[in-house]
Amino acid sequence: MKHNGRNATIRSTGPVSGSSTFYSLYIAILGLVTIGFGCADIFVWAGASDGFSWGIVAISGDDFFRWAWGGVVMVCGGLLLLSGAAHAATSLHQAAKAAVGVILVWVIAGTDFLAMLCAAIPAEASSPAFFNTLDGFLAGVAPPYTPALVMFPFTLGLIRIFRSAVHR
Amino acid sequence: MVLSSDARWEMVDALAARTVSPGSYEPSLGDVVGELTVRPLTGIPVALAALYAFWSIFTSFAGTLMTDGFMVKIFDGYWLPWLQSVWPDPASWHYFIFVGNPLADNSLEAFGVLTSGFFVSIGVVLPAVLIFYLTMTILEDSGYLPRLAILMDTFLHKIGLHGYAIVPAILGLGCNVPAVTATRILETKKQRFIMMTLLALFIPCGAQLGIMMAVIPESVGIVFLCLLIGFGLFGFILSRLIPGENPEILIDVPAYHWPVKEYVAQKLWNRTKAFLREAIPFVLFGILLVNLLYLGGVIQALADLLEPVFVVWFGVPKETAGPLIAAFLRKDLAIAQLSNIPMTPYQLIASVVLVTIYFPCVATFVVMLKEGWRELLASIAVLLTVVFIYGGMIHGIGILLGVA
Repeated sequence: MKHNGRNATIRSTGPVSGSSTFYSLYIAILGLVTIGFGCADIFVWAGASDGFSWGIVAISGDDFFRWAWGGVVMVCGGLLLLSGAAHAATSLHQAAKAAVGVILVWVIAGTDFLAMLCAAIPAEASSPAFFNTLDGFLAGVAPPYTPALVMFPFTLGLIRIFRSAVHR
Repeated sequence: MVLSSDARWEMVDALAARTVSPGSYEPSLGDVVGELTVRPLTGIPVALAALYAFWSIFTSFAGTLMTDGFMVKIFDGYWLPWLQSVWPDPASWHYFIFVGNPLADNSLEAFGVLTSGFFVSIGVVLPAVLIFYLTMTILEDSGYLPRLAILMDTFLHKIGLHGYAIVPAILGLGCNVPAVTATRILETKKQRFIMMTLLALFIPCGAQLGIMMAVIPESVGIVFLCLLIGFGLFGFILSRLIPGENPEILIDVPAYHWPVKEYVAQKLWNRTKAFLREAIPFVLFGILLVNLLYLGGVIQALADLLEPVFVVWFGVPKETAGPLIAAFLRKDLAIAQLSNIPMTPYQLIASVVLVTIYFPCVATFVVMLKEGWRELLASIAVLLTVVFIYGGMIHGIGILLGVA
């Protein structure tokens, strides 16, 4: 079966069609921010800075795997978001590209969250206890967060577009 | 009658023309996302993200949470001190074999059957294998694996394989035993031989990955890079040297769907059970044998005999002979043993690469033998040649970079 869906359109009515430009702009801004964060991940890892922290966002850049590889995935996610931004609310193909871009951001955010949880659950190596105290656990999951985790809530708004695409 | 792949495609076209009547079809978002994941421009970023997630989940769960968080405390804080306090006569041969070094303060370095043996198999390998098979099963049952096969088809054709070779390659990252069996999905003898040889050479199993994370966490990336380059380079050479066909891929791609949790649980249980049945006895027996060989002076004699090869050609200490013997039984065990030998960072990376590409472990060896003794012998000949050449090449690069 060959069907690329390129010409398929979402038969949109109501709020989605009325807010098409807003959604496109929102996705484009998300894409640009994602690219920016991805590049920052890579640059900090490459030694442009000893580490970056601003508000609740922090990039330590200490690990090739997380910051270089993860940064490349973030940049790719941002590029896909940008390329799917135009007509994302009305074109199935564009919505799918934006969806793939968002999924890449979710992958990084999800694995960052899991890494944070896995580090916060056990007690410190020097402690005789096996499990962390509640205070220790909460300190482990407290800010600052990685850029992908900070972006995660802002990407949830796009679920509305994707759900409308699924239902049609 | 054996049909060529072109003839099969023609038959498919003819059957489809006679039986399928095209109607109108409205693609869903899932359909279009599915198509995007097999196109190189959009599919490669998705593959990069999937592999990233795979590795990140593996290191977070197996490394940070289970091994470092709990198992190290259990084995180093309770099990090892208790054994050291109750086992009689630290100077005896039985103490050396079962508890290991009486001065060791951690289970990895003690190297006794009951200390390192249990720590490696239960503390390191079990969590690694469990999470590996869980993520692998989810990728498989969600429908992503066939798409990855299509995406990898072009690259894998350059090394004499086709896209479905990604299945034994990924399975091999769990355990090479089922991976060798999975090479049967490849269609020609040439493809099966190349895949089996590359598996034995360049794909580290889950147990090895787990122990690498414990021993050389900061250098796993470099080891992987060496293995990846070797996989591509020697695959390319083998595909040119070995006669035979490399037909096109014929693959059925299911729609994306949520994995059924009962199936995932069943597959996870079956795979983990089979792995543990093979792993634990081999690890324990491996340490027993290596310790007996140490006591008998065999390892020292081998190290002296092979010194020129190890020191001059590979650039690693002659004591690496011991872990290489252990590697035939379990490669994870061999890497754990390497951590006890004083080495420079370069030597440690080169030794880990050597242990990985050197002879397959005995379980893999037996499964390869089942596939045919001629193939096994040819595979071993290729393997020894590659180890010699590639080991020397890594040493040469190390000298040029000024690190060896």
